[in-house]
Amino acid sequence: MEKRIKTPGDLKTIREKVKAEIDVRLGRKEILITVHMGTCGIAAGARDILSCLMEELHKASIDYVTLKQSGCLGLCDKEPMMTLTDKDGKEFVYGKLDKNRIHEIVVGHVAGGKPVSEYLVK
Amino acid sequence: MRELSLHILDLLENSIRANASVIWLTIAVYPDKNLLEIFLEDNGFGLGVPAEVATDPFYTTKKGKRIGLGLSLFREAVERADGKLSLEKSRLGGLAVKASMKLNHIDRTPMGDIAATLSSIISTNPQLDISCFLRVGDKEYAVHLAEEARRIGMTGCDGLALARKFSEKMKAVLTEANLNGSL
Repeated sequence: MEKRIKTPGDLKTIREKVKAEIDVRLGRKEILITVHMGTCGIAAGARDILSCLMEELHKASIDYVTLKQSGCLGLCDKEPMMTLTDKDGKEFVYGKLDKNRIHEIVVGHVAGGKPVSEYLVK
Repeated sequence: MRELSLHILDLLENSIRANASVIWLTIAVYPDKNLLEIFLEDNGFGLGVPAEVATDPFYTTKKGKRIGLGLSLFREAVERADGKLSLEKSRLGGLAVKASMKLNHIDRTPMGDIAATLSSIISTNPQLDISCFLRVGDKEYAVHLAEEARRIGMTGCDGLALARKFSEKMKAVLTEANLNGSL
């Protein structure tokens, strides 16, 4: 027989357990990558960064990433830039991007889950 | 900017910020008249200020900023090729950016990768209804995003796959119009 729910704590335990099961069933939660495409970002090569990112995600068969674009973040000298928001909602801002850096970020952070700290904007 | 297609990307970004959901891009090439025209129309909330104010590099609608370079840089690129930029009310209800310039002018910025420009916008905004028309002389070619999405059975939720399909179609149309790499 199922254990009866007597306290809010019991309910919380059940919630956590079911949530974990659903997460496993649905795979990883989505990662959001925002590429900053203001005039400064575009002039610095944001379009090629986005194309490269699309290519890398396709090559690695990663389908849990949503891409978004936004305007200038106010750090024009660090463009091209992107912000990666992980499944816990934590934001990582990467700057001075190029094709090699995108490859390393996709392999290391998107697929591997470890931020590539040397490319983060401090 | 190195390419006209990058200026177009900047204009598309403006349209999205103006809450546009429908965007028509027309690129018309008239080799006989030595003319290149770019029209970008949207159904966003439009300009709200006179055209000369909007193309002023010290005018911006963004809070906390003092400069807005997008339209002023585009105007400069157009005028460099003996051309003219005008901002009007669009048939779609928003803004129509019209640029016409000399096709063979030595200082005309090359068109660049228009397929990459459109696919990068689609990958991040798959819900937009984008149509691209290419006119070469009296021939016209068109690519409609909604049509491509229907053809491959997509609901518009998978921006990456949709952008790839659109890019393939654009490249095929550019080749058919004999414009691939020649603009």
